[in-house]
Formats: sequence, C-alpha cells, structure tokens
Amino acid sequence: MTTPALAMRFRSAVWRRQFLLQGCWNYEGMQNVGFAYAILPALRHFYANRPEEALKAVKRHLEFFNTQPAMGALILGASVRLEERVAAGEADPRAIGTFKVGLMGSLGAIGDSFFWGALRPMASVVGALLALLHPLLGIAAMLLLYNGVHLTIRRRGFDAGMEGPESVVGWLKRAALNVRTEDRKLLAAILAGGYAGVFAGRFFVQGGGASHALASFLLAAAAVRLFAVLFRKAVSPSEILSFLLFVGVLILWR
Amino acid sequence: MAWRFLLAALLGGVCYLDRTAACQLMLHRPLVVATLMGAVFGNMAAGAQVGVVLELIYLARLPVGASIPPDDTGAAVFGGSAAAIASSSLGLDAGSFTALLLLSVFVAEAGKAADRFVRKVNVRIARITAESVDRGDMQAVEHGLLAGLTLFAVTGMVLALVFSAAGVAVSKELLPRFGPASRGNFAVLLPALPLLGAASVYSCSRTERTAAVFYLTMAAVFGGTVLFRWSV
Repeated sequence: MTTPALAMRFRSAVWRRQFLLQGCWNYEGMQNVGFAYAILPALRHFYANRPEEALKAVKRHLEFFNTQPAMGALILGASVRLEERVAAGEADPRAIGTFKVGLMGSLGAIGDSFFWGALRPMASVVGALLALLHPLLGIAAMLLLYNGVHLTIRRRGFDAGMEGPESVVGWLKRAALNVRTEDRKLLAAILAGGYAGVFAGRFFVQGGGASHALASFLLAAAAVRLFAVLFRKAVSPSEILSFLLFVGVLILWR
Repeated sequence: MAWRFLLAALLGGVCYLDRTAACQLMLHRPLVVATLMGAVFGNMAAGAQVGVVLELIYLARLPVGASIPPDDTGAAVFGGSAAAIASSSLGLDAGSFTALLLLSVFVAEAGKAADRFVRKVNVRIARITAESVDRGDMQAVEHGLLAGLTLFAVTGMVLALVFSAAGVAVSKELLPRFGPASRGNFAVLLPALPLLGAASVYSCSRTERTAAVFYLTMAAVFGGTVLFRWSV
C-alpha cells in the first residue's frame, strides 16, 4: 500500500496547530485533544478515502499525552512520520503509542528544566533589569531573548521529527540542551545577583559610612539566603507574601 | 472608564490565552501585563514598576506536569491597574506600592483556583470529544479544541475584568483610608520584595557555581550602586 507524501500545506497546518497543543488542557488526558487536533491534517491526508482507519488513528492520538509544549513539536513531527509509515503498511500502529509514551516523559523533563528552569528566568531578569531604563526596552528584550530560542527549538525540533523517529536522538544530542541549561542557569544567577544588588543598593543605603553599607549588604544577602532556603523547603512565594502582608498589618495596627 | 475596563478585559484575555492554551510566547509575563494595564489605566511607567518586581517573584514555581503555579498574570493585572490609578490620585508612594504588591497575592491564588476549575471543565470537553470520535465524528476534535480555547479565553477575560476592577477599587477606596504616615510604615517591607524575586531566580538556577556567582555579582553591583549614590 502506498501513501502520498505529505504536501507542504498539510505540513504547515500541523506546524501551525502545534501552538495550540494545550488548547484543551485537562486533568485526565492533559494535552491529548491538542495533540489530536495538531496531527489531524496529516491523518486526513494519509487516510483519505479510508474513514475507518482515519478514526482509529484519531483515537490513537486521543490517548493521554503530556510534555513540555515546545518539546511537543519534536514528538509531533516524528508521530506524523510514523503515521505515514503505518498508513503505508510499513509499521505497526502500536509503535506510535509506544514512541510517544517513551519520549514524552524524558523530553518533558529536559524541556521543563531548559525552558522553565533556565531560559525563562534568564529572559525575565534581563527584561526586569532593562525595564528599569525603559519599560518597553525591558519587554522587547525579554520577548526577543525568550522567543528567539523558543521558536528556533520548536522549528528545528519539528523538522528533526519530520525526518523520522530515528533522527530524534541525534537531534537531541546536537541540540545539547543539558549544556545550554547549565549555561543559562548560571547566566540567570549572575543577572539575578545584579538585580538583587541594584535594589539592595537603592533601598538599604540611606546614609552612613562604609560599615553601614557593609551591614546593609549582609542583611540583604541574608534575606536572599533565607528566602532561597524557604523555597527549597517547598514554601510557596504566596505564603511568604502572605506572611509579609500579615507583618504589614501588624505594623499598621501598632 | 468603561472603555478602559473593556480594553483591559480584551488584552487580559489574550495574555491569559498565551499563559496556557496558546503559543506560550511570554505575553502573559507580569512585566508585559502590568505595563499594558498601566498604559490602559493612564500610567504605563507605574504599571511597569509593579511588573519589574512581580516578574521574578513567582518564577520559583514551575508549571510542571499537573501542578499549577500561582496566577502571576492576574497579580500583574491587579497591580498594574491599581498602580496606574494610585499614581494619578494619591501618588504612588513606597507604602502604597508595597501594599499593592502584597495584596496581589490574593489575586494570584484566586486566579490559580480559576485555572484549576477550567482544567476540570476541560475534562468534560475531552470526554465528549472522545465519545463523538467513537461515534465516527472526526471533526469533534476540532470542536473540542475550540471549546477548550474559548473557555480559557472567556475565563481570562472575566478574570482580567474582575482583577482590574479590584485594583481600581483598592486604589480609589482602600488606600486613601490610610494616611501618608500609615502608608509610610508599610514601606518598611518594600526592600524584601525584589530580594524575594532574586531568591526565586536563585532557587530555580541551582548549579554548583550558582551561589558563588550570585553573591559575587550582588556584592559588585551593590558596591557600584552605593559608590554612585555617594558620588552624586
């Protein structure tokens, strides 16, 4: 059985639709509806005139699915290629489920660490620091810095996936996201140190000599350390803010 | 004022869509949202001041798996609109600024609860979608996704409307009840807030060298800032 190669317009439709991967995020299937929606143009193409098989294919993609949304592009691209093989009778349909389940957890962990744990904090601190000069400069820098990397990884991941599931591991090696994560975390820490220094210098030193400045710095550094320890003990920012609000109310009461 | 709330709801709806359902282009970040709300309610710079501090505070909570972090987009809607209104009436003094940032915690938690509710309703949408596909309706997938997106968008617009109204109400009704001296006392807590943000980034950027580079940079920038202030 032969299947027509995926035309550019279907490929583009799948690419555009992957931005809505979380459009119907739910506690049961998580990104399942979004994934099925994204791959639907390809399925319609591969199973044209075979409605029963098309339905089976859609049901396959309504199974539980969850990963970091930007890394989803890689799995989506490879799933399109696998579906093409299944439609041509060259692969077992069960291979698609196995492939998705096998990859979504590990790619989710890599993506969470890179995007949420490194790239976003770095872009946020750059934005916050530059917004002190001008708000629009800060916003532009943050969006460009984040989306430059984010959209590139989405695009290249999708293209690598479209080359076939065999290319996924090779692409991940070349992308070296673990090294990039470390670098960006370090850069975020440096910039956050600068951010803390700027505000500590602004608020703490209202006069006095060098010893006063030193004491102010040590107090600010101790406060950062205390908050970081609280975060590590799973205390949420909301709980700390609520406590500070309580202290503020006590001050007002007095 | 009505058109300002309408605009806030529309822009807020777009930002809330970006938060979970669509694209994740960081249009939902507090720096963007608070600045937008500041511009809508008449003072972009005041909104941006709130955004600069709120941007980092909630970063320590990652949206991993099924966990939902506090709604910092909602906090920014509240803080940005409140700061803009406060700056045009009683002036955005340090005490009012601190109070707005701290009060935004209620909004962040309320937004989180609303987010959880939407995701629970989406379970029902996903089930109906699956049942329709079982009956042979492939297009149900597109309808299901559209329903989910609409729910996210409408909830975002309602939240943006409610939170911006709350911000305006706090600035117009609550803050003026406290005199300048009382608000000044509140400002004692202000230095803790940017440091909380820096600690948030510090805690999600942990590597072997994080502590060293963080505190060295902090010391260098602090020293530079102090020297600059002494020299002028």
